[in-house]
Amino acid sequence: MPNLIERQRHIIDFTLSSLLRRKGKNCALLLVYTLIVFILASVLFFTHALKREAALLLNEAPEIIVQRTLAGRYQTIPIAWSDRILKINGVISVRPRLWGYHFDSAFKANYTLTVPAGNPPQQGSIDIGSGISMMRGANRGDIIAFTGHDGIPRSFKIRNILEHESQLLANDLILLSEEDYRDFTGIPADQATDLALRVRNSREYGIIAEKITRIYPDTRPIVRTEILRTYDALFGWRSGLLIVIFSAAILAFVIFAWEKATGLSAEERREIGILKAVGWETSDILLMKFWEGTVISLTAFLVGIILAYLHVFFTSSALFAPVLKGWSTLYPAFPLTPFLDLGQVATLFFLTVVPYTITTIVPSWRAATIDPDAVMR
Amino acid sequence: MISARGISKVFNHGLPNEFAALHPVSLDVSLHETTVLKGPSGSGKTTLLGLMACMARPTSGRIFLNEREITSLPERFLTEIRRSTFGFIFQQFNLIKGLSALENVMIPAYPTGEKYSILRRRALESLEMFNLGQRADARIEWLSGGEAQRVAIARALINNPAIIIADEPTSHLDSIQSREFIDIMTDLKAKGRTIILASHDPIVYDSGLADRVVEMRDGRIANEIKSS
Repeated sequence: MPNLIERQRHIIDFTLSSLLRRKGKNCALLLVYTLIVFILASVLFFTHALKREAALLLNEAPEIIVQRTLAGRYQTIPIAWSDRILKINGVISVRPRLWGYHFDSAFKANYTLTVPAGNPPQQGSIDIGSGISMMRGANRGDIIAFTGHDGIPRSFKIRNILEHESQLLANDLILLSEEDYRDFTGIPADQATDLALRVRNSREYGIIAEKITRIYPDTRPIVRTEILRTYDALFGWRSGLLIVIFSAAILAFVIFAWEKATGLSAEERREIGILKAVGWETSDILLMKFWEGTVISLTAFLVGIILAYLHVFFTSSALFAPVLKGWSTLYPAFPLTPFLDLGQVATLFFLTVVPYTITTIVPSWRAATIDPDAVMR
Repeated sequence: MISARGISKVFNHGLPNEFAALHPVSLDVSLHETTVLKGPSGSGKTTLLGLMACMARPTSGRIFLNEREITSLPERFLTEIRRSTFGFIFQQFNLIKGLSALENVMIPAYPTGEKYSILRRRALESLEMFNLGQRADARIEWLSGGEAQRVAIARALINNPAIIIADEPTSHLDSIQSREFIDIMTDLKAKGRTIILASHDPIVYDSGLADRVVEMRDGRIANEIKSS
């Protein structure tokens, strides 16, 4: 047993010195490999973080939302419709909601205005998200002004700065009282933005939605599971943009690995021949190549993952954001909540480290199985 | 004793560029003896040397090492025999560039799993034996031809082999360095090693080192001279 350990040690020593001897080539290899892992990991982290933010948001969303449409376009819904909808079997509660967006032209930012279901601020005061607080330099107790629908500014006192597990949910949020909301947006007292329904049995979502459209044909019920599917289509790995980036990175990796699989320099072949001639077994050479592949791929993998983590969660995906976010409603910029999914890391590991290590061994195996007398000729 | 019985070697068998490097030959090499295979380039001496040293398998015929038939042994066993029984000195030295003289000497012993400190000490002693102690940490490409040759000899001896195999060992050395090489081999012979050399250099086959000179031509044994 000590011999086996010592033998491994010798071979690892030799591998490391081999890597150092070909510094230039191996550094270039490491750089390309790290870049590919970085791109793959960034895409995975970024999409997963967005999906997670969305999932957190949807956790608190009602089972069914009923909107009213006019000629296919959204419009406010009469609060009186709640009574009839509540009578449908399976509906536990119906809550008219008041919410919308406000564009702050001074800061070129879009805010989400909401009247909360519980503990709304008193008239004249508001709660704001941490993003707005930072951008406007406003803190608890300060007075802040926004221009209403009629062009007249309204002042509010800040009651709280909102902190939330999901940055996406809280960052651009303004909570205000119903009176202030109606005054600010001009929505009449008998109208709401939409109706939020609580339904006990998830298997009844479809039936209830159907009944609502039968009673009010100009409504559009949105079931929570549909929203989840939409988010998945947008941010899942199969979505268009992501598949393009992901495929490009995978293709680059395949070309890179193929080059390794088919190429072994004359010098490397000669070295393998010498090692065999002086008494190294084929398995010793494969072990050496295995360690070589492992050192390079593990280093690239770890560095790539760490860089991707920093890129996504500490620079807000500076390289991808302009392309991937793409929706104006994501202003003000929000940092994603750092989160590492071990399943994803494992997937990436098996997509990169394992194939690379194998492609390092294959050409060496071919070279190591030739007769050692080749070095004598 | 190494016994080759009717061994031949054909390269690129069945291809348009098929080439018979060695026609069936038989040869016995006694232990503790020095045998020189002599002949011009392409006479088959390197091929015969490689076959006897388990570096390749013959196309036909059998080889016995101390009466054990080794031709049909699996690759693993051949490697083990190569490592423990033979020490190789190649024509081009075949040292690994970028590594130090010391590391080059230690390489054949790596698969044995010998403790690093012991192996290092033995390799240093071996280098010192050839007056290369001071050059142990020097990279191979910084050494002169004679020094590189001596490193190659030290490497050949690291696993304490019974048989030394040298292929055209003086082809890259000047006359003085060639004579130094003969002196080293004479010393090793005196210590009981079996030596088999392939060479077409008169300094080698005319020296008092050889007990036996086997002359080869066109892949066949042409003549054999035994020194008295």
